[in-house]
Amino acid sequence: MQNCVQLNGVCHTFNPQQGPVIQNVNLSIKRHEFVAIVGPSGCGKSTLLRMVSGLLMPTSGKVKVFDLEVTKPREDVGIVFQKPTLLPWLSVIKNVLFPLKHKYGRYSKEQQKRAFDLLEMAGLSAFADKMPNELSGGMQQRVGIVRALLLNPDILLMDEPFSALDALTREQIGFDLLDIWKAQPKTVLFITHSISEAALLADRIVIMSKRPSTVAKIIEVDLPRPRTTKTIELPQFSKITAEVRELIYAETA
Amino acid sequence: MQKPHKLNSFIGLIVPWTFWFSMVLVWELACQWGEIPEYILPAPSVIWQAFLDVEFSRWLGHLWATLRVAFLGFIISVAVSIPLAIIMMRSVLIKRILYPFLVVIQSTPVVAVAPLIIVLLGTEDSSRILITCLITFFPVVVSTTTGMLDTPEELIELSRSLQAPRYRETWQIRMPYALPHIFSGFRVAITLAIIGAVVAEFVAAEEGLGYFIQFSTSFFKIPQAFAGLIFLACVSLLLFKSIQWIQAWWFPWSMPSEN
Repeated sequence: MQNCVQLNGVCHTFNPQQGPVIQNVNLSIKRHEFVAIVGPSGCGKSTLLRMVSGLLMPTSGKVKVFDLEVTKPREDVGIVFQKPTLLPWLSVIKNVLFPLKHKYGRYSKEQQKRAFDLLEMAGLSAFADKMPNELSGGMQQRVGIVRALLLNPDILLMDEPFSALDALTREQIGFDLLDIWKAQPKTVLFITHSISEAALLADRIVIMSKRPSTVAKIIEVDLPRPRTTKTIELPQFSKITAEVRELIYAETA
Repeated sequence: MQKPHKLNSFIGLIVPWTFWFSMVLVWELACQWGEIPEYILPAPSVIWQAFLDVEFSRWLGHLWATLRVAFLGFIISVAVSIPLAIIMMRSVLIKRILYPFLVVIQSTPVVAVAPLIIVLLGTEDSSRILITCLITFFPVVVSTTTGMLDTPEELIELSRSLQAPRYRETWQIRMPYALPHIFSGFRVAITLAIIGAVVAEFVAAEEGLGYFIQFSTSFFKIPQAFAGLIFLACVSLLLFKSIQWIQAWWFPWSMPSEN
């Protein structure tokens, strides 16, 4: 399969006195692959994500998307943030359409229809005209995901998207994300602190080392799809999470 | 789980009103029993009588003169302050150049500058409006700048990742986010606008509530001066409140949650 995202010897330094945050990261991600990134806090996972998005340039090394070097934000990349960051003065549907309104100043009837369809897929069609503060945290984050899907990106970057949610909502929204991913295949780069979340969702788990961080190890998650609540009960699942946990603890120690 | 303490709306209304009513009552009784001379502190009833003794049309004339200056001063200062805040947010260099200048204007007492402005621009409305502008613009600039810088970083990243034009970032994200801050700036500025108009009237005017208070005092009509003062205070309070009403009416989502 085609390489989608490729990082070659990527380094990033914010402040030369504190040394590099990210050092020599090499990683290639295939098209429509679901990759989770875990690692000790402060290891520069978000920095990595921002470099893929084109919001941040690497100090050295190359970030390539579809064999083209990333020098500015790309059209085919959608970002989901840790917080939903919806605009409180816009209704749900207008929030979903916001990227179009913001980029081009307008949107067409068909695009509006597409926004409704996406909301329907996320089970939110009944809330289209509600204001964000009338929604629960989980629903707000769903709207955030739908907003990222509006421009039909090929790559979805998710920066700890479910970390503010309670455990049950978190699991449910994870399965929903997998449904969306199956219906509309995308390359997903998913940063998380939760090992079980990473194992449950991803094809591969990238474990980052502590600062200056680099790829410590990559683990293939050979669990059958579709993943369900049953997946969690598989012995393989516990084996994978245990392995990841050990690797992370080895990093923090 | 215990709900956060919230004021019963009946009690929330009754208690403050009762408090203020009894304060006025104490004032009235103190004046009557303590035999405080009228020129030191007139009783509320005397002030009320003084208020009624002045023809209503005269009150309206003075009120209009003051409001006209305060409103125009406020509107011009908002029209200057908001673009100024946007420019200063966008360019650190311009901010470095302008900010000290703004602070100097703000910290110079308007009362000291007012006579100079009158000399410069004459005794027309324009000089009074300028004086009002000088006193009102600073809170609007500061609150607008603070509000726009308070925008969540993620939304700015969203805007950058979409490669949207910068003016839309300002207009569709930063400005609406700044609205709660801007409105608190407006609330301060509108009361300052009244102060500015009155200060200007003290220096040079033939009408207006400030002028009315000043000439009443100089003719030793203390109750009448008090009537003017209280009228002015009520107008200020009403303007302050109406800024809040406008915010609640136009931008309900921007209201701070009350509890």
